[in-house]
Amino acid sequence: MSGSLSPRVPGLLALAGVAVIAGLAGGRPELAVLATPFLVFVGVGLVMANEPDLAVELSLERDRMLEGDQTRVTVTLHNNSVAGVEVELGVVRTPKLALEPAGAVAVALGAGSEITVEFRAIPLRWGAHAVGPVVVQARDPLGIATWSRRLGARLTLRVFPREQRLRELVAPLRTQPSLGSHAARSRGEGIEFADIRPFATGDRARQVNWRVTARRGALHVTERHPEHSSDVVVLLDTFAEARDGASGTLDAAVRAAASLTRAHLARRDRVALVDFGGTVHWLEPAFGATQLYRIVDALLASEIAFSYAWRDVESIPRRVLPPQALILAITPLLEERSIRLITDLRMRGADVTVIEVSPLAHTLPGPTASDVLAYRLWRLEREAKRARLRALGVAVALWEEDATLGPAVEGVNAFRRSARHATRV
Amino acid sequence: MTLLAELALVVVAAITVAVSVAMLPEAVAWRNRRAPAPPAARPEQLVRLESLVTMAGASALRAHAYLRPLLVEITSRRLAARGQTLERIPEAVAKDLLGAPLWELVRPDRQFPEDRHRRGVPRQDLAAMVEALERL
Repeated sequence: MSGSLSPRVPGLLALAGVAVIAGLAGGRPELAVLATPFLVFVGVGLVMANEPDLAVELSLERDRMLEGDQTRVTVTLHNNSVAGVEVELGVVRTPKLALEPAGAVAVALGAGSEITVEFRAIPLRWGAHAVGPVVVQARDPLGIATWSRRLGARLTLRVFPREQRLRELVAPLRTQPSLGSHAARSRGEGIEFADIRPFATGDRARQVNWRVTARRGALHVTERHPEHSSDVVVLLDTFAEARDGASGTLDAAVRAAASLTRAHLARRDRVALVDFGGTVHWLEPAFGATQLYRIVDALLASEIAFSYAWRDVESIPRRVLPPQALILAITPLLEERSIRLITDLRMRGADVTVIEVSPLAHTLPGPTASDVLAYRLWRLEREAKRARLRALGVAVALWEEDATLGPAVEGVNAFRRSARHATRV
Repeated sequence: MTLLAELALVVVAAITVAVSVAMLPEAVAWRNRRAPAPPAARPEQLVRLESLVTMAGASALRAHAYLRPLLVEITSRRLAARGQTLERIPEAVAKDLLGAPLWELVRPDRQFPEDRHRRGVPRQDLAAMVEALERL
């Protein structure tokens, strides 16, 4: 524990010094007597000041929770010294985690006693929030000396983004041969009806459509679309964001990424994650619940990393972008490098869909008439960018943060059903 | 008398100590460290456009070099939605759709300004152009 003298001490010594000097200069011993109480006070205080022996236990009611929930942080303070002590304590935490009561809590501890202080932890958004250690400031009874120390462990509170339930998912153009829940374009064993054709050698008897056979007088079989899985790459744009104090586009983008990941994994798709920004992180495609937790854990660490470095499709390992994968780019379309990446991927034949997290809700026009004009021009520029991507055959869904993701996905599917693939920009 | 005076001095000193201790700064003054609100992140695109609007009014060169490409891109995309292109649209139709000032700025055969230091696009004119684009 680091100890220091109270700011009172120099003041008291200065008063005593003034009195002694005045006494010496004026030849008046009475004035020197004035200094005595100050010196006695400081002396007694220093003799009584013993460093307290304190210990802290920090615990969380739960270490995993959903956005919007609250939990309890308990601080138990033990005083192992022989004298009582006055203590003020505060819990160190990350800025996106609010504690109530805010600030420090003052407690008085008798010798050999302990006290428990409870805080309510309110996460302001998803993330891996650090809680602890506890900053303890103790002082002796006369307030002459103070000791300050960080005690207790550093705990991690994982707050998962609140996900939306999606009834419909972006239908991939191409599927993988493994079993899943997307109707493939190819024909084979499945549930969804594809066509009826005359019987050919090798067809199974169970494929025969007896009604059509009876009507036409020749054997006919029913063809079906098999149910296949697909590869999905969730591409999260972390180059830039629009933020207005507490919330920003990245917060919403991570929620959308978590929702889409869960929904696709539930439909037995292989899902990969690419965090594309100033630094590039990725998770290779995989199936199942383990992959869900891996991706959500990776999403919790997402942050805007500012960088001038040029990033393009070559920055992403090829094994993370399987051929025939559906790429879901979640982006506020604020950075030219991200738009260039999406364009590059599309021009290489990838099946790309953009979920645009609208930054308009987080950005207001400036105060002057020129700023308002620039804002209108900015909206037009954004529409032009969207149109440029659509002209390439990239479906762009504009998602307002307050709205549900479902209509955006439906809009994407409607576009993909009607869009023709462009061959040039 | 001297003893009484000294006693009085000690009493005064004691009172002074009490007052001084009370008035001196609190030893364990805890600064209530609330987490500062994260700074607002304003999109760089918008900041760039705010300066572009000002710059474009100041010089014809800047209006041609920086504002024109942006307006050409926006106009092209909006015309494309109507099945038209800047290169093929008849001038009369373009002037009718876009308005003369905007058409003069985005027309494909526009020449580089001869007098670079001439005034660019005033804010009122630019506002009219933006309005025409929004209507399109």
